[in-house]
Amino acid sequence: MTDQMPADRDIDAAFGGDGRTLEPWEVFRREKDGDPMRHGGSVMAPDATLALHYAREMFSRRQESVHLWVVRRADIHDLADLDLLQPPLDRSFKKPGGYVMRDKLAAARAQSGQAKPKARSGGRSAGTADR
Amino acid sequence: MTTARSTVAPADPATERALDGLILSMADDEFVIGFSDSEWTGIAPILEEDVAMSSIAQDELGHARALYELLAVVRADGSTADSIAYDREPAEYRHAQLLDHGRGDWAMTIARRYLYDTADGARLGGLAASSFAPLRELVDKIRREERYHVMHLTTWLERLARHEGEPRERLVAALEELGPDAATVFTPIDGEASLVDAGILGEPMAALEARWRATITPIFVGLDLPMPPPGALDGGRSNHGEAFRWLWGEFTSVRRSDPEAVW
Repeated sequence: MTDQMPADRDIDAAFGGDGRTLEPWEVFRREKDGDPMRHGGSVMAPDATLALHYAREMFSRRQESVHLWVVRRADIHDLADLDLLQPPLDRSFKKPGGYVMRDKLAAARAQSGQAKPKARSGGRSAGTADR
Repeated sequence: MTTARSTVAPADPATERALDGLILSMADDEFVIGFSDSEWTGIAPILEEDVAMSSIAQDELGHARALYELLAVVRADGSTADSIAYDREPAEYRHAQLLDHGRGDWAMTIARRYLYDTADGARLGGLAASSFAPLRELVDKIRREERYHVMHLTTWLERLARHEGEPRERLVAALEELGPDAATVFTPIDGEASLVDAGILGEPMAALEARWRATITPIFVGLDLPMPPPGALDGGRSNHGEAFRWLWGEFTSVRRSDPEAVW
């Protein structure tokens, strides 16, 4: 956001230092009462006060938020390791529905030579028969 | 604005003239600083500040528009917000001489805005309980927006003041240049006493100036900055110089290119 700055933007004078004190802040916003905080985007700012001012300008100047948070990006700890987040083996048994049984049942029927039973007309609902 | 004139205009002609002068001075202040600060659009120190300063400038133009519209209702002579804003000669504008100083560098812009916004805050405070309902209601809305302006400008004033070297030097130089003209925001309005008597203006401008000084003194002392010296306010809203003639040429250029155009 700042690396394309025109030459006449006197950032050293404006920020009173080496000009490298700007850093990214992540902005979270609540659109209306009762909504969760959602990530809105980010702003560059030298401190929390200006980060909030800029967040206000970027994410609520048209009255589109009722609550804003800013978090220094450096204070966010992240995890993006696919071995940890997307393990390669089947983890479907951890899902609320349990294992998907359809393929295993079909294989067992084929082995025993039985046809797939017709859906029952009463009792339990047909939708659960193959689970 | 749909307010009928009969419900807004003071009965007494002298008070009405004074009210006209008060609203015009406020509208011209907001118009001139709003236009002048909009020159930062595209060239402010960083993109975020560019948006912030442009947004603040836009707020001021919005306040100016609302005040000119109110003035058009009070005048009831067929004038409109646009005709009042654009169809005057430079000498007829009644903004404070503080705003005749150009935007200069960033420190100059911050100093000018800080001085103006705090002074405007004191003036708006003097209208918060105005007996003139349309102005009181408008001022109530304007004050809620000005609160953020003062927050933002105070942050910048502190930031520049606390960084020794170039930022502080530029800020101090700007305050020394602007200081003698800062109080021109409180130039007495012609017929001001009648506004105070009618309860339209809570206190004379001189009393509002004292409130303003009391508000900013602790900030200036805390940051060791030069306080605006007391100055003679005669002609504080007239005698606009060459810098304003240039700005006027800019902000009226489109209007003058086709005065009959309907927008």
